[in-house]
Amino acid sequence: MASEGELGRKWDRCLADSTVKLGAGFGLGIVFSVIFFKRKTWPIAFGSGMGLGMAYSNCQHDFQSPYLLHGKYVKVS
Amino acid sequence: TVAAFDSFRFVIKGTLAGGAVYVAYDQGLLGSGTQGAEALKKAQAALPPAIQEWTSYIGWEVRTVQMNTLPPTPKFDFSPSDSWNKGVQTVMSALSVAPTRACEYTVEGWKYVKDLVK
Repeated sequence: MASEGELGRKWDRCLADSTVKLGAGFGLGIVFSVIFFKRKTWPIAFGSGMGLGMAYSNCQHDFQSPYLLHGKYVKVS
Repeated sequence: TVAAFDSFRFVIKGTLAGGAVYVAYDQGLLGSGTQGAEALKKAQAALPPAIQEWTSYIGWEVRTVQMNTLPPTPKFDFSPSDSWNKGVQTVMSALSVAPTRACEYTVEGWKYVKDLVK
């Protein structure tokens, strides 16, 4: 894994995550708008904004942590 | 009874909203950056079979010359950073040869005009 490719991979991960979070926030905003807020527009905007904010925070953490490896716990049975 | 009905309705709404949030959390949509990227890959992988199923359900039949089924949708193996880097390299190489090319075209154009005038 080339180190100069690592930045590109981080950007790809960041963009993919932003897309997912924006979509999820938008979707949950629609759900809450329909269920609780009488189909107003502001919950959708709020949800999208929250999704973007979460994505920004994740990207910031990813870019500022150059030595953290992305691993996962594997249970040894 | 109206109050009971209202509270029952609120419980139903709360259950629906809570279920939606839980499903989003369970699919990894609200987690870290790697989880979100994996969720997007899973969605991209699930898209072509879903389209195939949907079109066959509606009853569309696309008759092409070669085969009787819809051509397979291309795999989304798109890397934005790779595309961006390629674009930057193309633009920069074009800019680096631009003065030379401009000189060549100017010389050729001048020669063409001189030939016309002769």
